[in-house]
Amino acid sequence: MNAKVNNLDPVIFERQGVRLTRSQVEAFGREIEALRDEVMNDLGERDARYIRRLVKTQKSLELAGRGLLFLGVLPPAWLAGTALLSVSKILENMEIGHNVMHGQWDWLNDPGLDSSTYDWDNTCPAEQWKHSHNYMHHTFTNVVGKDRDVGYGILRLSDDQRWNPLYLAQPAYNWVLAALFQWGVAFHDLEYEKLLKGEKSWAEYRVQRRKIMKKVRRQVLKDYLLFPALAGPFFPLVFAGNLSANLTRNLWSYLIIFCGHFTEHAEMFTEQDIENESRGQWYLRQLLGSSNLEGGPLFHIMSGNLSHQIEHHLFPDMPSNRYREVAPRVREIAGRYGLHYNTGRLGRQFGTVLKRINRMALPDRLSRRPGRRANSAPM
Amino acid sequence: MQSQVASSRHGLMRRLGRALTTPFDPEDYLALFDARHSAREIRARVMRVRRETDRAVTLELAPNRLWKPHRAGQYVMLGVDIDGARRQRCFSLSSAPHDPVLTVTVKANGGGGVSDHLVHRCRAGDLLTLSPAAGDFVLPDPAPERILLLSAGSGVTPVHSIVKSWLSSGQTGRLVWRHFERNYSSLLLGESLRELALDGRLDFRLVLSAEAPRDGDLAGRLDEHWLTGNGLTESGLTERAGSGRQQAVFACGPQGFLDTVIDWHGRHGAGPLFHERFQTTPAGGGEGGRMRFAHSGGEAPAEPGQSLLEAAEAAGLSPRHGCRMGICHTCKCRVARGRVRDLQNGESREVVDQEIRLCVHGADGDVELDL
Repeated sequence: MNAKVNNLDPVIFERQGVRLTRSQVEAFGREIEALRDEVMNDLGERDARYIRRLVKTQKSLELAGRGLLFLGVLPPAWLAGTALLSVSKILENMEIGHNVMHGQWDWLNDPGLDSSTYDWDNTCPAEQWKHSHNYMHHTFTNVVGKDRDVGYGILRLSDDQRWNPLYLAQPAYNWVLAALFQWGVAFHDLEYEKLLKGEKSWAEYRVQRRKIMKKVRRQVLKDYLLFPALAGPFFPLVFAGNLSANLTRNLWSYLIIFCGHFTEHAEMFTEQDIENESRGQWYLRQLLGSSNLEGGPLFHIMSGNLSHQIEHHLFPDMPSNRYREVAPRVREIAGRYGLHYNTGRLGRQFGTVLKRINRMALPDRLSRRPGRRANSAPM
Repeated sequence: MQSQVASSRHGLMRRLGRALTTPFDPEDYLALFDARHSAREIRARVMRVRRETDRAVTLELAPNRLWKPHRAGQYVMLGVDIDGARRQRCFSLSSAPHDPVLTVTVKANGGGGVSDHLVHRCRAGDLLTLSPAAGDFVLPDPAPERILLLSAGSGVTPVHSIVKSWLSSGQTGRLVWRHFERNYSSLLLGESLRELALDGRLDFRLVLSAEAPRDGDLAGRLDEHWLTGNGLTESGLTERAGSGRQQAVFACGPQGFLDTVIDWHGRHGAGPLFHERFQTTPAGGGEGGRMRFAHSGGEAPAEPGQSLLEAAEAAGLSPRHGCRMGICHTCKCRVARGRVRDLQNGESREVVDQEIRLCVHGADGDVELDL
């Protein structure tokens, strides 16, 4: 879609031959909003059944998994128990916890599925997650310096982040982050670099840290002491099973989440880009900064429907079971405006994430790239 | 001593259970086997649905362990899922506290909401949620010896509970109860009323306004004339004017009914008056309105189209918030009661004890906020 330049309706977006004027961007935003309203007004019984059935399934899997681990002296039981517990933790963290804390299910008025009271089964306190994720990450998606999910304070994922020699090691320590992902998430909201720069007080930091440690203690006590102890002589087997389940969940959630914003064509933005950003521009940035994963229904559920990262970012509080239905329509709207809809299979998308991590490890002059942000334009 | 040991063991088990299920509660897992289990809310299973009239039912409820016995005359907020979303409405409990089953009696109001759902679609085995029992429309302690009770329509339910409770607590005084109804087919709890009326300490009469009364029942409607004139005379109340001054009056019914009673009591009564209105009137429409802040005290106006967040900030408060565009849910705040407008879809709705996002809701009348 191209438009003539005119003073009243200037071109505010330009990428690879596609130019959109201000009014076109706003029209795009209105179409996205109309789609949102349509779905939100249609929520009802079947959505409620979906989430309740999912919670039941997850809790049953957890009970079965933990039960089987007590029989962990039999190798098949240990493997099955660990697998079930892994699946249950992934479901709880991703398709239930993450989405409930977004307020996707607040409309049910069910205190057990309410964003203001829900806490999830990992070491990150819900309250801090909601700040760093729902607010900072979702409002300032991919804005370097605002959205701390861009590299989590330790990785360099955009050339707008200043290079330093420590980043040379990021292709290696990236895997450490993957394995310890829940711990990275837990300490994420401490924003220690702000502390070092003096933008955050020590008092605030200490309060936050105390809350994190309280939750960490409970989680560690449960998975690494109480459940193993209940198994008596098989303590090490249950311990190992729980450790493996947490590790599996960490690796899987890392994989899905990194594919959501750091694939090859996912765009990064600067704080200047978002000055006086309109609602339409905000929607546009969500689309450009996110990338989807293709797969079957089970894959989507196991990814917490973050395989529909684009839809999730356009509609963070829409129940996730609806993303699969709206995705083709979002894609159709994007197509009409000539906008890139970033999607692909997991293997391919993650390959481009690794490429980015490796490339950004090097200083700008060493990383071979065609021009700085070839697609950069005022936005 | 033994019970102390038992309770400390129970406490230990409970702590272990919580430690094993953190950040959830053991009840979240027990709910797989019986959905009534919850650590957060009172859930009750509907054991039986007794049809009172074609527009009313009495539900027999079996609540979970969080339920604490109510006092006769109190109400609960009953929650039921309609189209997936929980909706709530207040209902008086019709059973007495010591009754073996907990009951609420519900009349459909045709509004398509909670009452209609309960009357027409609720089945034995369904799950409901209950708030703790609340309300001051209860017998004082010690209970008065002599009480005049006046009820109309659905107002029969709390009065039924009060009378039943009074009679069974071995009181020696006397109750006079007049219940006002349009016709026989709209009468709730009829069978139980006949049973109660057999007790010599209760003088119960049904007063009908739109149908010819049958054996022993009266014709008429409650108005000033009935209260000051022959109504109460026929009821044998005015002859005891002297002692009547000391008797407590309990009244429950729609607003107009109560206004009449309150007005009459102000001029002729001397004893205490307890009354409860069972129909809520909307807080008023129009855009914009007044906000009342429950925590910080004070009031402030909310302009039409202004979000409650902006309005609260304009009033000098600084509510917790994030995106200011409805996506992050940081600014969720409880509304005790009031009418709000969803600024995203323009819908106006009545809110009682619910959390809303301040940044995408405006006032549409009076709103009481937990700020």
